[in-house]
Amino acid sequence: MASVATPSSSPSIGGCNVEKLYPRLDFGRRVVVLGIESTAHTFGVGVASSRPPYILASVKDTYRPTTGGIHPREAAAHHVRVAPRLLREALDAAGLGIEEIDAIAVALGPGLGPALRVGATIARGLASYYGKPLVPVNHALAHIEIGRLAACMEDPLVLYVSGGNTMVTAYARGRYRVFGETLDVALGNLLDTFARDAGLAPPYVVGGLHVVDRCAESADKPWPLPYSVKGMDVSFSGLLTAALRAWRSAGAAARPRICLGLREVGYGAAVEVAERGLAHTRKAEALLTGGVAASPVLQEKYAVMAGLHGARAGWPPPHYAGDNGAMIAWVGVLNYLAGVTVSPEEAVVRQRWRLDAVEAPWR
Amino acid sequence: MAVEGRLLFRGAEAELYLVTWGDGVALAKVRVEKPYRHPAIDKRLRWRRTATEARAIRGALEAGVPAPAVYLVDPPSYTIVMEYVEGACKLADIVEREFEKAKELTARLGRYVARLHKAGIAHGDLTTSNVLVRGDELFLIDFGLADLRAGLREKAVDLHLFLRSLESTHPHVVEVMMESFLEGYREAAGQEAVRELVAAMREIRLMGRYREERRTAWRSA
Repeated sequence: MASVATPSSSPSIGGCNVEKLYPRLDFGRRVVVLGIESTAHTFGVGVASSRPPYILASVKDTYRPTTGGIHPREAAAHHVRVAPRLLREALDAAGLGIEEIDAIAVALGPGLGPALRVGATIARGLASYYGKPLVPVNHALAHIEIGRLAACMEDPLVLYVSGGNTMVTAYARGRYRVFGETLDVALGNLLDTFARDAGLAPPYVVGGLHVVDRCAESADKPWPLPYSVKGMDVSFSGLLTAALRAWRSAGAAARPRICLGLREVGYGAAVEVAERGLAHTRKAEALLTGGVAASPVLQEKYAVMAGLHGARAGWPPPHYAGDNGAMIAWVGVLNYLAGVTVSPEEAVVRQRWRLDAVEAPWR
Repeated sequence: MAVEGRLLFRGAEAELYLVTWGDGVALAKVRVEKPYRHPAIDKRLRWRRTATEARAIRGALEAGVPAPAVYLVDPPSYTIVMEYVEGACKLADIVEREFEKAKELTARLGRYVARLHKAGIAHGDLTTSNVLVRGDELFLIDFGLADLRAGLREKAVDLHLFLRSLESTHPHVVEVMMESFLEGYREAAGQEAVRELVAAMREIRLMGRYREERRTAWRSA
């Protein structure tokens, strides 16, 4: 097992008027929240404030298996190992002592049980020991809100794409409503599983580009692969199977075409369902968020799609597209200002905590 | 063919034009290029969806499911010319405005979808926005994602998509609308067919990522 520390520098994203984004919150009150993310392979700690520059620190360390995919227990062991160092680094980067933190926020789900429990245990411990309020945060909601803050969007249609999620959502009546999602595997999982089974990964991302994008670079045309959109839902399992079958049976010369076909069908279908959501909701903004939102290829397609409907497209910088502690800290600030806290005894992890089950009382 | 007419509506995948047709008018649906897709994939999809939509509408009409009649299909220009249902609104609007009427219409929709499924066709995009209402008449539209050799799974996806459209667009009336729909479906297809369909939808919903299922009448198998 290897682990790669990412640089602890976190780009500034504080140029937005948050009062327009959160009209029901009183930002006159200065609160500082420490947030812990541990839902999957990344352990992240962030510090966020209700005052500019909003994000005071964001450090993370990602468990990267040398072979195979994420084993939940291995990810949890990684998180336990790096947590004390990252907590210290986050507070140092923010220039704060723990006594200056108003509340502890933690992602309680959705995610992998063993990984989630590491963050939850640490957060409960910190809250109890230092007598701080504990703020529960939904991981999917955090991806959306950090994206909204970074791209400064008041009311976007959202495409949330990561290793575990592919979702089209927008806010209505007190919470985010899910218009479409994957019926089987997520977009990130499609790319990673293909790359792994085809022998292209790990590592999955080289120089900011996914290995499937790299492999596709020399292709002249896409290999024909099944394209499955149902309403605003997508299905990628048939695509994955067909691409892997083609990979094994076709010659080496055809491989770039298979990568291009997989990439174009996968990204194309995800952007198409977002377009359906945008046409349905008639929003003026289109946000792309989650780990796969760091893909320049997907960003370009998404911007083109939004342009077709006169909507402004945006996405967070790569550091905040992938899992991070700052997004948990930021929703921690929002929830804390809105009075959403939980007692340590009640702060249990929820592996299948759905986005549309969460109240967003600050919009 | 080149379409000449007045642009009525620009949707996610097609533009709708009002065109002259014989002595009257018709609706021309043109699937437009999507520059975010690879051109080869884009052409293949638009061609196939145009052809599928025309075939599915024909199958629906033959099964006794009202849909706008098809006058002309031209896959090379990704165009279908069809009956223009004048003065219609969407079922989605009725759900928000006239609750009692919407309940009755939704039960009728359930009967129509059961007929469609019996004919081996799944709609593929069944939402309250893809059902037109004119007076007491109801029309199914947007068959581009239809499956003409649908098995139980594809039919269950229809039910899932309909439930999803209620959850996302009409969250306050999900239970009662779903019950009306299934009541209509039951009338046309029988209790056993509904039981199978609901069980298959439940499977699909549990397969999805991070599903949180509540146990209510149609959610429990």
